[in-house]
Amino acid sequence: MFLNSWSIALVICGLVVTFLMGFAARSGIRVLFHWNPDSDANRQIQLENEIWLTSTLVECALGVQIISLVVFVLAADFYSQAIVGAMCATGSLLANNFGVPALIVKIGGVFFYGFWIVLHQLDIRSEHYPLVRLKYVYLLLLLPFLALDLTLGVLYVAGLHPDIITSCCAVVFGETAGGGPNLLSGWSPRLSLSLFYGSALALLAIGIVLLVRWRMWASLLFSSLCLWFFLLALMAVTTVFSSYIYAMPFHKCPFCILKAEYHYIGFLLYVPLFLGAFLGMSVIVAEPLRSLDGLEEVVPRFQKRAVVSCLALLLVFVGVATYPYLRYLILGGEG
Amino acid sequence: MDSGLRKHLNILDYTLLSLWRRRLKNLSILLVFAGVIFLVASFELVTQALTETADRALRNVPEITLQRLSAGRQETVPLTYMERLRGIFGIREIVPRVWGYYFDEVSGANYTVMGMDRRRMPGGKEMDLALARGDMPDPEERGAAVIGQGVETVLRQKGGSLLSLFRPDLSQVSFEIAGVFAPATDILTSDLIVLHPEDARDLFRIPSGMATDLLVYVANADEVSTIARKIATLLPDTRVLTRTQIRKTYQVVFGWRSGFASVCLLTALTAFVIFAWDKASGLSPEERREISVLKILGWETADILAIRFWEGLLVAGLAFVLGCTAAYVHVVFYDASLFRPVLVGWSVIRPDLRLLPTPELANFLLIFCGSVLPYLAATVIPAWRSASVPAETALSGM
Repeated sequence: MFLNSWSIALVICGLVVTFLMGFAARSGIRVLFHWNPDSDANRQIQLENEIWLTSTLVECALGVQIISLVVFVLAADFYSQAIVGAMCATGSLLANNFGVPALIVKIGGVFFYGFWIVLHQLDIRSEHYPLVRLKYVYLLLLLPFLALDLTLGVLYVAGLHPDIITSCCAVVFGETAGGGPNLLSGWSPRLSLSLFYGSALALLAIGIVLLVRWRMWASLLFSSLCLWFFLLALMAVTTVFSSYIYAMPFHKCPFCILKAEYHYIGFLLYVPLFLGAFLGMSVIVAEPLRSLDGLEEVVPRFQKRAVVSCLALLLVFVGVATYPYLRYLILGGEG
Repeated sequence: MDSGLRKHLNILDYTLLSLWRRRLKNLSILLVFAGVIFLVASFELVTQALTETADRALRNVPEITLQRLSAGRQETVPLTYMERLRGIFGIREIVPRVWGYYFDEVSGANYTVMGMDRRRMPGGKEMDLALARGDMPDPEERGAAVIGQGVETVLRQKGGSLLSLFRPDLSQVSFEIAGVFAPATDILTSDLIVLHPEDARDLFRIPSGMATDLLVYVANADEVSTIARKIATLLPDTRVLTRTQIRKTYQVVFGWRSGFASVCLLTALTAFVIFAWDKASGLSPEERREISVLKILGWETADILAIRFWEGLLVAGLAFVLGCTAAYVHVVFYDASLFRPVLVGWSVIRPDLRLLPTPELANFLLIFCGSVLPYLAATVIPAWRSASVPAETALSGM
């Protein structure tokens, strides 16, 4: 189902990211082979210039990847209007085996490209550029991931077959119209909620401990808990909170909240969640760099800021997620 | 004020001055870019408006439409089929419909002629509300017709008060005009002539006891697919169309057409991207001097990249606003006259369709992906090249 605007937009996003990362990798290879900080030869000066090119390219690629993630979800919602049995984006993502993996890889891409930018920002704060090699090895490792992203996206779109009326036969009867498939069915809301709020409190406690006195084990715990909370939050939004936003007990979908009907509240939920989780996880990414030459002050400062911002953003997320739920409990639903 | 923010405000200030100094070059890029965005946005908005109009129109379509097929072609349905469906629980009403196209040789127009018993249709009594003039004739009354605006225009040009049509054997039959549909319903009624079912049978010479298709109204929307499946089993020679299916087909067709148009526009986009790359790459000696002077004054590569970034963003943002506004004006006030034939189709009586798109964030995102993203990607590398001009260029007299 390539011939519609959404598929074309997805392909354009994929090609733009590939183009930008491809160029970044090209200069990455040059840097890996010829980088010599002690030299003041022309080539070294040129390579130092190229570092700027690479970082600009990866930053742009990250921007496009974030846009592509939103386009992917909205495209899935569009496809649902053409596929029998799909009521919304969830249905069309489950329409073949590549939808959900493509989404997961896209989300992963946002985090992995982001970590590269964290490394780069830390690196350029030091006069010696201590992370150059690490940064470019990481960049080259991202390439297969990028290829996987593009391939899964293309396979997903290629595997979608719209059910249109044909002149030769009767209607193909798919799933019944009611309900539609739900992601993650079978989770008990009570368990989800206790885990969700419990983890949020634990995260807050460890964050405060870290801010008072920095400990290596605590930073590891903080970042791991951030990852856990991120996954848990996605699950809680899907199985519990979304129903309260839709005001429909059986509509459990993490994607429809991004639409105009629900005042784009999904963006207010996901932007703080993704950003907060990303900053929280970048704490442990930066941890091994604390002792590196020229980064002794930069890394701790970054980590403290990251912990504070992470906690603030996740509080915003918890607040926005809880609001429709509390409103229901107090006012008793819409009416 | 935060020093980082102040720095960016200063850079933005410098960028605006720099854009103004090279206004001719920037204006040419801006206009071409706005043109490309106008094309992409027009298609997107027309598709959105058409999909919405079709969606609105389909709200009144019966849940299931039943057609009989013979040798792969549509044939008339015997009314006895209705009896065979009576046993299916959940069907609210079955209404036989006689309809077809009538080619008027004088005006060269194709009318849609329709005859059905509106007493049996849910909501049939409210059809009076859709009329601009006159009344729906009494269901028993023969020889009266209700026509659409397009048909009325043709009739007025001919100068008659009666609607005269010819049977297949060229014998004439005339109808009185009982009412005219309101212009607001044009997309459905512009070329429509509504007759008594027996009059329609007589006009097309369809034997009594036959209908073109059967409209099946279902009480509970959740049961539609089950009932449709039962009908298909019970009457294997029929084609069962559900409303959802028709809507999805429209969606796919509009999506396909706009996708096809987008692919055609990709050539324009590629040409523009090459143009933008070329414009951004070709640094004039003055620009090189300017950059190297800035570097001597202490600016870093990152600052010059920031200028380029703001330049690109300002040009792209302005072109985006211009292109989208022009597209909206084109679609709403000029009825998308440039592209409508591609998306709507061709006909002599074309409904005077008012396209009123209600663009959402998703539509703008789509237009953004199809225009601004490739532009920004194309200008990143030239921006870096210009930012990496060495400081000594100014000293060497370049």
